[in-house]
Amino acid sequence: MQYVLDYIAAAILGAALLFIIINANDTAAESHSVYNGDALVQEMLVQTAYLLEGELRNMGVGVPEDQQTILFADTSRLRFLYDINRDGTPDTIQYYEGTTAEMAGTQNEQDRPLYRTVNNSTPLVVGAVTVFRFRYLTRLGEVLSTPVIASRLTEIHSVEITMEVQNPYAMMRTEEQVMSGERNALYSSSLWQQTRLASQNTRR
Amino acid sequence: MSNHTLLTIGAFILLTSILLGFYRLLGATGDDITNAQDLILATTIATSYVEQAQGLAFDEVTDSTSAAIGNPSIMTASSLLGPETGDDSIAVFDDFDDFNRLVAERTATGTNKRYTTSFRVNYVRPDNVDSYSTSQTYTKRLDLKTWRSYPKAADGEKIDTLRMSIVVGYFHFD
Repeated sequence: MQYVLDYIAAAILGAALLFIIINANDTAAESHSVYNGDALVQEMLVQTAYLLEGELRNMGVGVPEDQQTILFADTSRLRFLYDINRDGTPDTIQYYEGTTAEMAGTQNEQDRPLYRTVNNSTPLVVGAVTVFRFRYLTRLGEVLSTPVIASRLTEIHSVEITMEVQNPYAMMRTEEQVMSGERNALYSSSLWQQTRLASQNTRR
Repeated sequence: MSNHTLLTIGAFILLTSILLGFYRLLGATGDDITNAQDLILATTIATSYVEQAQGLAFDEVTDSTSAAIGNPSIMTASSLLGPETGDDSIAVFDDFDDFNRLVAERTATGTNKRYTTSFRVNYVRPDNVDSYSTSQTYTKRLDLKTWRSYPKAADGEKIDTLRMSIVVGYFHFD
């Protein structure tokens, strides 16, 4: 009788152990996906922001004082001058976002390429973003409506950049997990918002 | 209780302790990722303030005159560094040291997280910008600290503080 009780107890505990291990395995796999996705988007965001930040810092460098630095300013497009190779001739740098159709191959239906062009060169994809917005402020803090009209381009004192990057790969959810109005998959995301001066050393 | 049952219970306890360590590690990794995102937002906020400060005049005196050239003592005394009357918000600050003693809170866009930043501005010695100077010099340093102020730290959670400094020097174009 004692042996039978031992077997039953061992079977119950064994089953519990098995259940715990399977559960832990599922948790580990899910967490790995989430953390990996989070780390990936943070890395993508920081790399893109690093490039953008460095370039906007140089906006207006090598541009004669009587020449305007910003040539075109819209919600998702900015064109400005900066002597990139220090040859005495200002170059035209442009950042703009593409369309979601251009990244239709990814699971994420909201991501789109971010392009950079120098003068008339072929646009180069420098990142993938889900939000890419500029706001333009005057010295007095007035937010200029976009696209900024040509006569007010020289009033731009600072540029606020908002950028969001989402994981192009989804963490799928079952239908029961999706609430009304939600997307059917989860995407890790990371946000960057920064105010940059349109031109350094304007008030000394 | 037989030896078999004791052995099984022992194995169960061993596995449970291993699993506890495993879940703790998973939680810690999640916290690290969340902290990294917090610090990204804190960095964007801190660097935005730095950008704004860099766009201001070196001193209240140098904002409108060049009288401080060769005569630094007419600039704001170190004990008086801070906003002047009427400089009641960052939007109307007109010189670099208006940030001194300011504590500002900002909500990160797209989240409900709020970040508080505290500022200190001091004159520093041009030959050693790590040293404060009690007399006026042509070099000032802004030290700022940014941390997440909302949501508050949960039990056992540590909130990192981002510290940043920037040194500016006075120069003048003739």
